[in-house]
Amino acid sequence: MKNQKSFRMQLPLQVFALVGMIYLLIFNIIPMFGIVMAFKDYDISMGISGIFTSKWVGMKYFKEFFASPNFAQLVRNTVGISIYKLIFTFPIPILFAITINEMRNIICKKVVQTASYLPHFISWVIIGGIATQFLSSRGVINTFLVNTGLTKDPIGFLTDPNLFWGFAVVSDIWKEMGWWAIIFSAAIVGISPDLYEAAEIDGASRLQRIWHITLPGIRETTVVVLILALGNLFGGGLSGSNFDQSFLLGNTMNQSASEIIQSYTFRVGLSQGRYAYATAVGIVQSIISLILIFSSNTISKHISGLGIF
Amino acid sequence: MRKKIGRRSTEDNIIDAIIYIIGALVLFLTIYPFYYILILSLNEGTDASLGGIYFFPRKFTLENYTFFFNDDKWIKAVIISVARTVIGTIFGTFITLIVSYGLSFENLKYRKFYMTVVFICMYFGGGIIPYYTLLKFLHLINSFWVYVIPGALNTFFVIVGISFFRGIHPSLRESAIIDGASEFQVFLRIICPISKPFVATMILFIGVGQWNSWYDSAFFIRDQDLRTMSYLLMEAMNKTNLSASAAQSGITISTTTSLSVQLAAMMVTVLPIIFIYPFLQKYFVSGIMIGSVKE
Repeated sequence: MKNQKSFRMQLPLQVFALVGMIYLLIFNIIPMFGIVMAFKDYDISMGISGIFTSKWVGMKYFKEFFASPNFAQLVRNTVGISIYKLIFTFPIPILFAITINEMRNIICKKVVQTASYLPHFISWVIIGGIATQFLSSRGVINTFLVNTGLTKDPIGFLTDPNLFWGFAVVSDIWKEMGWWAIIFSAAIVGISPDLYEAAEIDGASRLQRIWHITLPGIRETTVVVLILALGNLFGGGLSGSNFDQSFLLGNTMNQSASEIIQSYTFRVGLSQGRYAYATAVGIVQSIISLILIFSSNTISKHISGLGIF
Repeated sequence: MRKKIGRRSTEDNIIDAIIYIIGALVLFLTIYPFYYILILSLNEGTDASLGGIYFFPRKFTLENYTFFFNDDKWIKAVIISVARTVIGTIFGTFITLIVSYGLSFENLKYRKFYMTVVFICMYFGGGIIPYYTLLKFLHLINSFWVYVIPGALNTFFVIVGISFFRGIHPSLRESAIIDGASEFQVFLRIICPISKPFVATMILFIGVGQWNSWYDSAFFIRDQDLRTMSYLLMEAMNKTNLSASAAQSGITISTTTSLSVQLAAMMVTVLPIIFIYPFLQKYFVSGIMIGSVKE
């Protein structure tokens, strides 16, 4: 009876799993072989078979990318925006979750919390539109600043390259803070109330209780979420918003700060049809990403003793 | 020890004040931008371009919405968006559930191998160009099905699903199997109904993703009739952004401007989400937890 291990016995369950395997084979594994394009003199006119029959060109496209005037800027933007997001967007949901947890009025708590999730469900397309209404030269904020005399000229929030990184980080926080606070809130709720009571009897102040009970209580969750964020560092961390922001909030005026490797791949590859070159660029991003993940992991192990692998 | 321990100190009051101020600020900063778009979309476009509207419409009108719902281009986009959301969500949820259910069995043969494949696919990919070439080869470029088929199986959700299904007691399945039910019947009749919170979370995540998605429409579709709402909005915004002052631009058609219609379109995109998500809240709060806390 306990012959559950045989493939035939498990056939229906195997079919469920195999549906997934076939899907992944077609849409994930096969494209992985496409990266040979990066080393070949491939053109879209050659069709699919051209990927294999076209001439090998070695590192030609990599050299071209490294030598291109865009290279330094693209790497700077990709790495810069990602690290900024890791530093600033990561801790804010934790602080917000603690704030929410300290609210004693249940209705207030519920209302603020529910509202804070909303932007998570809204696409960057819409947020770009809202940003235009608020931040353009004639938008609400600039009108306010100019009318009250706080600034003489409108601030180019959407056009000034110097402000793009800040704009990207702040809009990301606005959009995702409430959402990622859910995880931390749940972790806080899981902390035993006895600890708080005991601390209160021992005379610990509220801040001390937050510092000595709440924060250590969510340590594990924090590490797990950090792992998630690091795993998608160049995608934009937790929210994975780098590409959307670059594409939807970037424009010709702030391009020097907003264009990242991902959006460059799209622009050169799909708009200009330079498939082989764009594939090579994509590989460079994956390699930088791997290096960063491994080095941050090593640093984390040294400092906190906790690492991903 | 029944002594009242909750005596309020000055520190308590200060912290409370700070907390409620932060709460109020978050509430305002989250709600107001959407409210602002709403009142602008309910105001005459030509009048709105003069500025100065902050809390209530000055010249109330529904013209922007009438214009929107009479424009063939927008109507087509709404239909496409609704269609892809409904079909894509049903298909995507079904595939994700069935695959993660299958993989959740500890004693499934070759399970280690399957899981390795899933993890590899989660972290590595060929990049956009090989993917595009593949879609072209499969004749999915410029087809409605590009919205539904290629992205249906999300590896992250599969992982979440596996840890969820593991929490279900195996005796439920076993007794049904002994009673003569097939695996598929068990899945459909027993597993899915008791997994309601998880299924609801999946539907919400996949559905919102479908509704909001713009890049597939931008890069994989050339036929104007297959464009989605999100894509058209993006296109319209890029046009308005090009002119120096967004608020002023637009060809005037009676009292509506292209911008005011665009604002109406934004509200049409946002409102379904605003109305739906609070009701699914209790589900996704538990759903997101399953995914992140377990392994």
